[in-house]
Amino acid sequence: MTEQVPNKFIVPIGPQHPALKEPGHFEFSVDGEIVTDASIRLGYVHRGVERGTEDRTWVQNLYLIERICGICSHIHATAYTLGVEKLAGLSAPPRAQAIRELFCELERIHSHLLWIGVAAHEAGFDALFMYSWRDRETVMDLLEELSGNRVHYSCNVLGGVKFDISDAQRDAILRGLDFLEQRTHHYLQVVTQDAAFVRRTRGVGVMTKEQAVEYGAVGPVARASGVERDVRVDAPYLAYEQFPVQMITDTAGDLEARFAVRVRELFESYRVIRAILDKLPAGELMAKMPRKIPPGEAIVRVEAPRGELFYFIKSNGGDKPERVKVRTPSICNFGSVARLTIGHQLADAPMILAGIDPCFSCNDRAVRIKRQDHIQSWTWSDLRRYALKKYSA
Amino acid sequence: MTGIWSIIALLFFPGGLFVLTCGLAYEWVDRKLIARFQNRLGPRWFQPAADVLKLLAKEEVVPAGVNPVLFKWLPVIALAGALTAALYVPMAGLPPAFSFPGDLIVALYLLSLLTLCTGLAGANTLDRFSIVGAVRTLTQLFSYEAPFMLALLSPAIVAGSWQTSEIIRSAGGQWILLTQPISFVIALIGLMGKLELPPFDAPEAETEIVAGALTEYSGRGYALFRLGRGVELVVGLTLVAALYMGGLAGPLDFALKTLGLLVVLALFQTLFARLRIDQTVGLWWRYGALLALAQMLVIVGAKVIA
Repeated sequence: MTEQVPNKFIVPIGPQHPALKEPGHFEFSVDGEIVTDASIRLGYVHRGVERGTEDRTWVQNLYLIERICGICSHIHATAYTLGVEKLAGLSAPPRAQAIRELFCELERIHSHLLWIGVAAHEAGFDALFMYSWRDRETVMDLLEELSGNRVHYSCNVLGGVKFDISDAQRDAILRGLDFLEQRTHHYLQVVTQDAAFVRRTRGVGVMTKEQAVEYGAVGPVARASGVERDVRVDAPYLAYEQFPVQMITDTAGDLEARFAVRVRELFESYRVIRAILDKLPAGELMAKMPRKIPPGEAIVRVEAPRGELFYFIKSNGGDKPERVKVRTPSICNFGSVARLTIGHQLADAPMILAGIDPCFSCNDRAVRIKRQDHIQSWTWSDLRRYALKKYSA
Repeated sequence: MTGIWSIIALLFFPGGLFVLTCGLAYEWVDRKLIARFQNRLGPRWFQPAADVLKLLAKEEVVPAGVNPVLFKWLPVIALAGALTAALYVPMAGLPPAFSFPGDLIVALYLLSLLTLCTGLAGANTLDRFSIVGAVRTLTQLFSYEAPFMLALLSPAIVAGSWQTSEIIRSAGGQWILLTQPISFVIALIGLMGKLELPPFDAPEAETEIVAGALTEYSGRGYALFRLGRGVELVVGLTLVAALYMGGLAGPLDFALKTLGLLVVLALFQTLFARLRIDQTVGLWWRYGALLALAQMLVIVGAKVIA
């Protein structure tokens, strides 16, 4: 590679690299230790999920949709059920809505704690990595106790939720939250005050508010740059109107701010979960759902741990969806990485990448192909021509 | 020293087998301590030995585009340097196997050989991670080496000798670390930089450049580099303990003092996030070198007045 492009020294990160737990490809051109250019190639874990949904019934799809992401599995299923319920013209009973919100927030806790560990590992701070993952087990155990599963809780059914929350489970959650809250105070102190760690995060990968808007950043990444963007507040869904969350923002826009925003969001999640458990509405868990969904189109926006998750669902009146389009938050944030790393040290590049909490496998549904003429985007007719050519032989 | 004793000293004790075993044992203590500090279980006692044996049994892949002679011999030279250094320090609390006026300087240079070989090994391959790692290894070498040497030489100035055993004798069992705390700390942290332990592990930061300069090494070469690092850990700890902690009276004293220092090293490794290479250089030249120099000037001044 170095011989082919003599005046560029490119450090490839991925598709297989210790910094990446999932495959993606990043090319950083460096001048000494300074990154001068960055390019991203995604699409290594394209699984054909969207096409797969068209061959399965509305109910079977729940199983598939939940497996789009291994971290935020519940929020995908929630977005899907909300969309299908909207098409069917009914909504889940209040108790089911509250339980769904409870799971959403528990999932956010485990996702954010996981991210703290991963990001600390990128900075070579393995002590924080090990401790945060140890404490994350608390919430994983809670999820297992509630649903029987640690990752794919299968809490949602069309029209409601599968299981109730007993008093014993409620007490267990409260106990777990008390422990986690105390630990989270400690983590907030570490990520904002630990001198060695802050040296790696303060002023690194600064994204101004204008840039965040321009790159279309979502979720904690946008909020760390001062963009007030949180679907839970802007367009409340589930029971977020009854049990609201406060938007957590920061103005610095650097990695430290991204740490601080995520850690402070944890407190917000603890508070909301306590509020839900305190005033869990009584009533049914499920509404009766028809097997066939009336024709129509629905758009759903929900706030996944990584940012806004978008679903478009189209029904033609049958027992299978005609089209399910998913746009996950990571894809919105990736663009910012390519810009933010330029001018920074190579050592900062994996940290800036980890700072958006990338989730590759939920991204990869369309492949962008890098051609000889460096045109990266293909139009629909381009793709069609490409497909016909490829499969005609 | 007669012929037969020289051979024993070279191959079995204090050089050779003894230091190798010691290196593996200390590596295990280090890994286990860090694991316990991080609330993990850590490896079993034979894990470092098992790692090395497995690596030795594996095929050594010589990548395309390297100088094969250098590729094969650099690990050998690195390990040989570290093993030779062991002969000039009071290993296991006994007098050094070989001693002559100025052996401290020789030991310090032999200890640098490992880093130099690592850097060359990285620069020898075409792999981009290796090259970045090699640049960082050598950059780090230039940043910690001067303060580290200054720090180890300040007890020598007090004693007025460059011979390790002479320095220890003149200290007369006194703990120099009490009178020269700054250079003690610099020597200890310099040792961490030398061994590329966290937080000075930028040259082999796995989340950026995989395994740094040694990315292309597998099998025998990698095993030898790892052994060399283990040996260097023991030799370095022995040197710091002997110079700063009132000499080493016997095997028990040796074990207590060096393991005590290892606990401190393990704590440092757990406490901090990795330093970027520019931060490492800044730390050493802005603080380390200046403080070591200041300490040295104070000592020289005190000597002149006395």
